Amino acid sequence: MKARWVVPALLALVSMAATGAGQYEKFDYYVQQMIAAAVAKDPASVQTFREQLDNLPRQEPGDAAQAQSFRQRGLDQLAGNNFKEALAAFRQAFITDPANADIAGQLSLTYLRLRRFKEAERLAVYTLALAPGQSAAWLTLGQIYGQTGDARRAAGAFANAYRFAQDPAQLAEQLRQLGATDTVDTVRIGALQALQAVQPGSVLPDPPTLAPTHPAAHPGTGSTAPAMATTPLSANPPLPDALKRGLTTSSQPLAANSAPKPSPPVSSDNPGQRIYRRSLPLTCLIVTFRNGKSDNLGSGLLVSVDGLVLTNDHVIEKADNLAVKCGDRESVAKVIRRGKAPDLALLSTTLNSADSLTLNQTYNQDLVGRDVFVLGNPYGLEGTFSTGVISGLRAIDGVRYIQISAPISPGNSGGPVILSDGTVIGIATMGLKVGQNLNFAIAATEVIAAGFFDPGRTKNLPSKGKP
Amino acid sequence: MTHLRKPAWLLAMWLAAIPAFAQNLESNRFYVQQMIERAAANDEHGVVAMQRMLEQNPRPAAADPAAANAMLQAGLAALRQDDSNAALTAFQQAVQMDPGNIEAANHLGLVYRKLGQWTEAERALQQALSLEPTRAVAWFQLAQVYGLQNDVQRATGALANTYRYAQNPMRAEEILRNIAENEAADTLRNAALATLRLQQLPVADLIMPPLAPNSDMMPMTTPANPLRPPRSAP
Repeated sequence: MKARWVVPALLALVSMAATGAGQYEKFDYYVQQMIAAAVAKDPASVQTFREQLDNLPRQEPGDAAQAQSFRQRGLDQLAGNNFKEALAAFRQAFITDPANADIAGQLSLTYLRLRRFKEAERLAVYTLALAPGQSAAWLTLGQIYGQTGDARRAAGAFANAYRFAQDPAQLAEQLRQLGATDTVDTVRIGALQALQAVQPGSVLPDPPTLAPTHPAAHPGTGSTAPAMATTPLSANPPLPDALKRGLTTSSQPLAANSAPKPSPPVSSDNPGQRIYRRSLPLTCLIVTFRNGKSDNLGSGLLVSVDGLVLTNDHVIEKADNLAVKCGDRESVAKVIRRGKAPDLALLSTTLNSADSLTLNQTYNQDLVGRDVFVLGNPYGLEGTFSTGVISGLRAIDGVRYIQISAPISPGNSGGPVILSDGTVIGIATMGLKVGQNLNFAIAATEVIAAGFFDPGRTKNLPSKGKP
Repeated sequence: MTHLRKPAWLLAMWLAAIPAFAQNLESNRFYVQQMIERAAANDEHGVVAMQRMLEQNPRPAAADPAAANAMLQAGLAALRQDDSNAALTAFQQAVQMDPGNIEAANHLGLVYRKLGQWTEAERALQQALSLEPTRAVAWFQLAQVYGLQNDVQRATGALANTYRYAQNPMRAEEILRNIAENEAADTLRNAALATLRLQQLPVADLIMPPLAPNSDMMPMTTPANPLRPPRSAP
């Protein structure tokens, strides 16, 4: 009711203000207004802004037949999960006929699949300018906002997807699926909020859990906090259980720490298996917390029997608190030393251990060609093991690196790069975005040269040593 | 108006004060070059000022517009048959008969570019742009000419004007992104990348070969939203 007079006034204002604005900004304004109206459960305003979009000048059509041929190629590639090839095909289709809303929508969806959210958003908004009642584009836009941590706008876009769906029951089912299984908190929250808005009496899925293939910590975002407080999703982001316990008992000693589990027995002659089994309990998952929520994760390695853990500085860069899990044991951690060049941090934990990884100070051309093994937690996949060779030695901004061919991904940062003799030759740190397997580890000798760690502590706990 | 850039206006006023000079071809080229430089510097007001100067110029008189149009059609037919030499001759004649024929000038530039005659292509396209400075297609042709001559600065300026005057900016944006990510020629690719950044448009953070030394390292930490591994992953 209250929007009856506000909306026309706003529209008049916008039509004046938008005179000098870019085309996209105008589209975006109306789309955002439709989202805000959907969040406010104000269907009259949704309709008003939809009409504004409908009344915009139509885009000049291109060669529809040629575009359809590119589009079909894109669909084939999309079906095979070949997103880059699909992008190339849909892009050609879009350039050939930019007035086709289906093509623009599929280009947006492909960008979303490639996690290129800004491009995906722009194309989704453009699609909605062409066809404001296209439910699929609203659904895509909702996922984009959810993936980028904006639960409110995700909920509004999802609600519009439902509003304009040809088959609302099917769309509601899609939202239920997203609400139950999507790996991103804000997508799930947005979908559930939209369901609550459009079907107030509907039975919502149980509180979502992580997919079993994805044990990573998930982010919470400031914008979702109110929603999380009022729904079953108000629990902490789904951290691994052990880490949750470690965090909540941060002021108390952890029982598990007093009884470290021994490494699994090493019986194989295969060097990879031998290294994996020995190094796994000494390789750590590091989860950072910021503003009370999990924020980032990386890897680390236990370098002393009294619980010192080495990692990259950029892993812990913005953390308020740190939780570390090495093998089956977990602890909170404090920063003892950190620096940007080299990008390293040394953490103290309560993870006393009978064993620790040994830093190998060798740094010469003889290393090139030697086998290396990398352990870490790429994208939260704990204990991921990969192999490769030392491809070269590089000095970057005065820091010595070892270039390796072993695959590493976000989440590997701070993890050990191990030689076949079990010693650590580097700390996995970064990779080139282009090319393949052009990855870099800070040389272990750099850790010592920079004073981060006294190699005297890198030894096994003496049998008669301290407890 | 206070935010108009002074140098562009002063220059424009100085040139306008000498009508005979301002109306000749060289001054038009100067304005076009200024539009490129101002665009590469992201100086919107400078671009618009130069555009206005060009638009104020009287159109050149046509000797025989009907015959020029006939030659234009002949040139287009030759182009469709991929006969660049015949097209070149036809477009040259069309431009001679009617120097104000934008289509003819633009296509003449296109054919010169196809034939690798950069200087002639540049002149023809500048002529087309002096007649219609908002013609995005001509700016795009000109960007390619500069790109192929390894002039990244001017290619960037011309691409920025392509985007500025595009009828469908979203389409132009995708074209720029396509060039920035896939074009084989380094200069044009880098110019497209620079244009996208100039316009603050999103683009994949890719560096294509040749790589700058130690460029674009990616820290191996997991951002806020970890990816779900592909289903086919082992």
